[in-house]
Amino acid sequence: MAETTPMLDIKDLVVHYGGICALNGVNLHVGQGEIVAVIGANGAGKSTLMKTIVAVKSYTSGTIMYKGMPLPKESYKVVSTGITLVPEGRRIFAPLTVRENLLAGAYTRWDRQHINQTMEEVFALFPRLKERINQRGGTLSGGEQQMLAVGRALMAKPDLLMLDEPSLGLAPIVIDMMFETITRLNREMGLTILLVEQNASIALELCHRAYVLKTGEISMEGTGKELLEDPRVQASYLGITS
Amino acid sequence: MELFIQQLVSGISIGAIYSLLAVGYALVYSVYNFTNWAFDAFMAFGAFIAFTSISSLFLPFWAAGAISIVLTIILAVSAEKLAYSPLRARKAPRLFMMISAMGVNLAIVNIINLIYGGTFRKFPVDALQPIFIGNVSIGRTDLVAGGISFVVLALLWAFLYRTRWGLGVRASSIDILTASLMGINNNGVAIVVFTLTGILSSVAGIFYGIKYAVYPMMGMVTIKAMIASIVGGLGSLPAAIVGSMILGILETMVSGYISSTYRDLFSFLFLIVILLFFPNGLMGKSVEEKL
Ligand SMILES: Nc1ncnc2c1ncn2[C@@H]1O[C@H](COP(=O)(O)OP(=O)(O)O)[C@@H](O)[C@H]1O
Ligand SMILES: [Mg+2]
Repeated sequence: MAETTPMLDIKDLVVHYGGICALNGVNLHVGQGEIVAVIGANGAGKSTLMKTIVAVKSYTSGTIMYKGMPLPKESYKVVSTGITLVPEGRRIFAPLTVRENLLAGAYTRWDRQHINQTMEEVFALFPRLKERINQRGGTLSGGEQQMLAVGRALMAKPDLLMLDEPSLGLAPIVIDMMFETITRLNREMGLTILLVEQNASIALELCHRAYVLKTGEISMEGTGKELLEDPRVQASYLGITS
Repeated sequence: MELFIQQLVSGISIGAIYSLLAVGYALVYSVYNFTNWAFDAFMAFGAFIAFTSISSLFLPFWAAGAISIVLTIILAVSAEKLAYSPLRARKAPRLFMMISAMGVNLAIVNIINLIYGGTFRKFPVDALQPIFIGNVSIGRTDLVAGGISFVVLALLWAFLYRTRWGLGVRASSIDILTASLMGINNNGVAIVVFTLTGILSSVAGIFYGIKYAVYPMMGMVTIKAMIASIVGGLGSLPAAIVGSMILGILETMVSGYISSTYRDLFSFLFLIVILLFFPNGLMGKSVEEKL
């Protein structure tokens, strides 16, 4: 999947929280059509990376180029460039209905007919959501909320879908279903995907390439398969000791 | 019985005016988590603009109302742009927002006081003849004030629950950061919210002015709107309206059957009693559910 110009190209990214350095010179790229995973322990800086890309967090130095252009510095402008983030912990709008949550995801779009069409596509992907269309988001189960969060992100018709720990707090069977859907989005709809996970085995299983983020620095990179077979990854992230 | 019905109609109309104010508070509070103390200045400003448009420019009532609404919107949005938005951009604590709002309030009220003086003025509209149904006389002013207030509230509801921008405001009130990920511009939402605030305070100011009087400190009545929204359940729009109606009716009943001297005393007693039995207000539910 080598690309001449990557879709998303991050160079020497440094991010601070006050005096604390959360990302220290991160280099990462995502090619069109790829599934790229970033794995790392709790506190490694995975969410910080995601938040910085969508301009919720500002950065100290480095560059983030998307489709050959710098990304906007205001978070509300990012979605129109074609990037959406499914944030950590889902963050659905609990008091709003499933339909309203989805419509909020389509906020930057105007054509009612196309919006409804996308909503039908989301329902085809997650029939559960259609059954609960008028139910408040907060009354859904954890798995359904994750479906809603992904569905909401898809409503913007993104080119690059970013997911921050989609497996967090979900039952194994729901996790499998979620990751199957992510693979389908990539294969069938051609979505480019950047995925951040603590659950390394499942992320490495489905991704094309992956990075290991360790206390704000990329410590390893390679294809999913390479990293799955790497003894250091096995020992630190897959809980395999041989 | 006649007195009861008369007082009830009057109570509903004052309750409707309280509703406009209470909903204005609830809107700002639910999105920005601070109490907009400048609201009472907006209300007095709206009333004085309408007052001047009629008494000095001799405009008809509807034109005066329209000018008042437009100028109060401009005032409210300017306060947002000049006083609140810069503080938000610097992530100032909530307390600073409230102090800034108090500053805006003092400035506007004192400017009005300088221009007009502190006296009570009668709002320059001819008193409408009451309607008689049998022995019951119903104030036509009450009907107009109540009716228009309810129309404004219904329009506000339709805007919030039936339009794209309304959805943006509600999403922001729940989670401003996630809303921005969807492309909802926080500063755009602020302009929408303060535009609504301008409309609500202007309409409330005009009708309150007609019912009682126009004076720089007339905005003090917004304390009643705060009581109403606490009684109903803080931060929720329907609760603010329910609380306002109860308070409006209670007050006119007390004025009618006991004495208007004790009216405010009863309002505060009522607040205390309600909070003793319903600490979250009558309809107070989850904190998360705001609009
Ligand atoms: N808002 C914040 N203020 C200060 N430090 C933070 C903040 N958010 C994250 N951090 C710190 O930055 C580091 C990376 O956090 P994060 O990106 O959330 O990690 P991950 O998502 O990989 O668990 C951690 O050390 C964390 O304590
Ligand atoms: Mg995280």
